[in-house]
Amino acid sequence: MSLTQARHPLRHASPRGLPTGENPYLPVPARVLLQSDLVPGVRLYDLRFVDPGLAERFSWVPGQFVMLSMLGVGEAPFSLPSSPTRRGVFQLAIREAGSLTGHLFRHVKEGDVVGIRGPLGNGFPVEKFYGNDLLLVAGGLGMVPLRGLLQFAIDHRERFGRITLLYGARSPEQVLFRGELTGVERRGDAEIHLAVERGTTEPWGGRVGLVTDLLDAASIQVGRTYAVACGPPIFYKHVLDRLVRMGFSKNQVFLSLERRMECGVGKCGHCSVGYTMTCLHGPVVSLWDALNLPELIYT
Amino acid sequence: MQTLRLEVQRLPVFLSALRDEGDLFAPVERLAPKDGRSGVYSLERIFDVAQAHPEALRTILPFKKLLLPPRTVLTRARDGAWEDGDELPIRPMIFYGAHACDVHSLKILDLLFLSDFADPYYQRRREQLTVIGYGCIPDDKCFCQSLGTANVDDGFDLFFTPLEGRFMVTVASARGDDLVRRYPVGFEPSTRDDTREYLDRLKRRTEAFTLALDAHDLPYVLELKKDDPVWEELGRKCLCCGSCSMVCPTCTCFNMWDEMPEENCSERLRCWDACLYRDYALVAGGHNFRARRADRVRNRYYHKQEAFVREFGMPSCVGCGRCIENCPTGIHVVEVFQHVRGDA
Repeated sequence: MSLTQARHPLRHASPRGLPTGENPYLPVPARVLLQSDLVPGVRLYDLRFVDPGLAERFSWVPGQFVMLSMLGVGEAPFSLPSSPTRRGVFQLAIREAGSLTGHLFRHVKEGDVVGIRGPLGNGFPVEKFYGNDLLLVAGGLGMVPLRGLLQFAIDHRERFGRITLLYGARSPEQVLFRGELTGVERRGDAEIHLAVERGTTEPWGGRVGLVTDLLDAASIQVGRTYAVACGPPIFYKHVLDRLVRMGFSKNQVFLSLERRMECGVGKCGHCSVGYTMTCLHGPVVSLWDALNLPELIYT
Repeated sequence: MQTLRLEVQRLPVFLSALRDEGDLFAPVERLAPKDGRSGVYSLERIFDVAQAHPEALRTILPFKKLLLPPRTVLTRARDGAWEDGDELPIRPMIFYGAHACDVHSLKILDLLFLSDFADPYYQRRREQLTVIGYGCIPDDKCFCQSLGTANVDDGFDLFFTPLEGRFMVTVASARGDDLVRRYPVGFEPSTRDDTREYLDRLKRRTEAFTLALDAHDLPYVLELKKDDPVWEELGRKCLCCGSCSMVCPTCTCFNMWDEMPEENCSERLRCWDACLYRDYALVAGGHNFRARRADRVRNRYYHKQEAFVREFGMPSCVGCGRCIENCPTGIHVVEVFQHVRGDA
């Protein structure tokens, strides 16, 4: 029983729980079913909740993320690169970058259990995109959240017009989901254009150059297109300016922000940019909102 | 709401009785030399009600330490299964000596910790907290009047305003009503004389403020001044020690990490953090979104007086003056904003 009934004259949003539990800090066990190297240093994990009910129930919006816990090591946020249309199993694509991912790469094997809480964040506003063309622009690891959106759009192909993916990576060896993207293009589900900053000895069918070159070459009907961009700060600096110059309205362009996160549920403060908590009001924001943040999204 | 009166000498009887209701916390004077007063107070659990200094304007740490302990075990894991780490039940707590600014900060904490994803660790403690306010007279570091937090009429259970030889007692919750009925130590209906004296006191208190912060249109002024050299100057002066955040009643940032107290057992802890610390916005891969001190200092001021206002219609500063009192390099929040406005 509550002794004190707090009054909330400025009550912001009603409390809610997470699919993984009422206590939003409590990780839930999930088993690593498969792990495979996507490219050197980046691994794809197939995961399934140990609780079969939760495994079937667990759904998300492309662009959302989860917190991955390992006992005694800690926790970190990872965006979901798979689509909720392919439920039961969810995936994470993880680059080895710090101590937690280092531990994951070295010690976690197929069949092991890790902790998951989520899904967190807002995800892409997919319903807004229905009936329109979709332009996905990815740079490097920015392909990870966009791959979930691409899968989702392909699984609901009739809800979208033209789907175009422009994806830039450092080198052919760094292109994520390369075989899969080739298949998508071959089936005619989406137009895929790849660019790498430098070629190699292996035959490379795509362009050598920057993702902005792909933007220049693409035929986009701006008036009926939503653009979604995801990549590192330097990528945003060039791509977002280009999209605006192409005539996109700033609320027709969405991007996903990266920030340090501890709690993932809007409490710890680490991911705040102004009062925008990246974990709660993001990570997906419109370009208009991004430009109105008190900090630059790129430098 | 209900207004009562209580003779001054009856208050200790009431407070002593409250110790049966839970742990009683109040401002206590620290390190007082034998024949003098240190003037430094901290919020402590008390057993002897004579120790309480409810008139003390600011304890070093505000009462957030009761709701968000500096170190909390959030989860405990064994054999791949995570459990809630809280030791239940949480004991009832009574905070005696809350001022209007404290109650306003409590409302801000509620806003942050009970909405969206409710924080169960905060919520459990909040539900066990009884807030008993005490009417204060401001000193030269109080600027709550400028921020609209100098007075309060809800968000507490009982409020004692000192009048001549008696208190005016405001009952603002059913919990407060339970307490005055459970311990009938001499509470009586208030009189017209009490009201008159209360209003006189209110006038004297309003006139006692010497520090003012011009908060008019401050979010937009800050927007206009975001590239102002003042932030660079401040970045050179600020040590980024985080003292202002630790003592701030609305600063609630925390870090989380895992420790292994024994084999096969892992605890996830949270501990107070500050946005002024260098690695606060550092992400894996090494990019730091606020690598410079000037960026971090500016972020703290903008968070409180610009971003929070845009989101909630009020600043997340209640004007308690703790950051002024505790800054080792003498940064004075009111002077900073005067400088930003070009007034000083």
